[in-house]
Amino acid sequence: MFDALGLMVFYENMLALNNVSLSCGEGQIIGVFGANSAGKSTLMYALSGLMLDIQRKEQMQGGERITIRGQINYLGQDVMGHKPASRAKAGIVLCPERRRIFPESSVLENLRIGGYLATPQQARETLDYVFHIFPPLTKLKTRLGGFLSGGEQQMLAIGRALMAQPKLLLLDEPLLGLSPAIQYWLAKSIKEIRDQRGTAIIVSEQYARPIMPIIDYGYILENGSAVVEGGRAELMDNPDVRSAYFGN
Amino acid sequence: MEILIYGIVNSVSLALMALGFTLVYGVSRLPNFAHGSLYVTTGFITWLLLQRLGVPYLVAMLISLVLIGVVGAAMYHFILVRIRGMSISEIIASYAIGLAILEGLRWGGLKGTTHTLPVFANGSVDILGVVVDYHRLLVILLGAILVGLLWVFVNRTRLGLALKGMAQDERAALTLGIDSDRMAVMSMALGGVMAGLAALVLLPLGNIVVEAGYHVLIMAVAVCIVGGLGSWTGAILAAFLIGFAQIFTVAWLGPHFQVVVALLAIILTLISRPSGLFGRQKELEERV
Repeated sequence: MFDALGLMVFYENMLALNNVSLSCGEGQIIGVFGANSAGKSTLMYALSGLMLDIQRKEQMQGGERITIRGQINYLGQDVMGHKPASRAKAGIVLCPERRRIFPESSVLENLRIGGYLATPQQARETLDYVFHIFPPLTKLKTRLGGFLSGGEQQMLAIGRALMAQPKLLLLDEPLLGLSPAIQYWLAKSIKEIRDQRGTAIIVSEQYARPIMPIIDYGYILENGSAVVEGGRAELMDNPDVRSAYFGN
Repeated sequence: MEILIYGIVNSVSLALMALGFTLVYGVSRLPNFAHGSLYVTTGFITWLLLQRLGVPYLVAMLISLVLIGVVGAAMYHFILVRIRGMSISEIIASYAIGLAILEGLRWGGLKGTTHTLPVFANGSVDILGVVVDYHRLLVILLGAILVGLLWVFVNRTRLGLALKGMAQDERAALTLGIDSDRMAVMSMALGGVMAGLAALVLLPLGNIVVEAGYHVLIMAVAVCIVGGLGSWTGAILAAFLIGFAQIFTVAWLGPHFQVVVALLAIILTLISRPSGLFGRQKELEERV
């Protein structure tokens, strides 16, 4: 369904993403793990097309020169040159790092804005679903996004992304800065979303422990390269992965 | 009583002048310094259609509103898009466009006091001893209707909500399929239409002169800075603040001090509360 081939991203001459290939099948959950600065966010930006926007802005301001190479095949066409908004329209929706909730809009309005691409009926159905899968949001409908806790914001961010009717949901570090209990609960919710809606999901995370059990296939990024890849069991048995991500 | 009524009329006029400016800035962080020229252009086009070509008033107004929306959109699409994100260049470029349009109009013959639009309704009414003409009352009514429509548009329609999202976090909006360039074009078109509406409502009270363009721009900037850039409630509140302050000075000091009030308001706001009355974005940002 979704194949990224030989992705390369340069910031000036610095290689941020080195020949990374990744694929995601219908209804799969793919994990991308790596330390800080391994290239997870760059990868997510490249997949969602935001990189093109960042590139254009840097170019206009005379900032960093960003070069992007590679190919992304999605549902039978190459979307590499597509702008982020048109990729979202095609069903590739990113839930960005640090959540980026609309701080001055209420929870409900955040979700409504998220429903820009949805038909009124889809929007209504998804809205119900979001409150069903994230019950804590039900009581916070009128609260401003900026006044939510980190966990609540993350639920809202995922819910908002769902409102855009994704076929492929990209989650960039959804567990960042959350308490362990919420991390496990969210990981479970992410799996539920896949199980109940059949949405394919690519999730990047620094901390692999809560996410590893829910993935079908995973990649380990190091210094911009995918150094290890494999199925869940394979990754969990790999001694390097075990020592780096599970501490034994 | 006189102060109250004329204060309200003046405040609503200011709000009308400023809403387009604050809308564009709020959505695309684009300070549209050509706002005043769009205002005058609308008046001029309407005058041309009405007085020279004999088009019915209402039709002339509609045509010029559509045209001015197109002008706003074209301004973004052909020029401003190239310097997006560099606020100083945006100010310079949009101001240059505004200057070109205004001085172009002057060169093209928009001089003197012969260019006027008819009022919507003739006659006047006596409210508790104060004589107010119907058109000024209509200004209040139309202003209120316009603000109401704008509120519904922004909070209830898909496009309005998208504009609101874009205003708060462009990158997040992009991930949701909201195209930033399309939204900026939309907001510029809408800002143009708002400037045009203000012109159509307010210009019949005076002459269509080039200077009005500069005046409207100063007033719009003053209202937006006092109210907090990009904040609509702030803009309306500030319009009333400045509007009444102006009427008070006219009553007590003399009509020469009207613009001084607006400029003084800018300076005082920047000294005491740089983000404006409703510029609470900073406070929220710190919490997130």
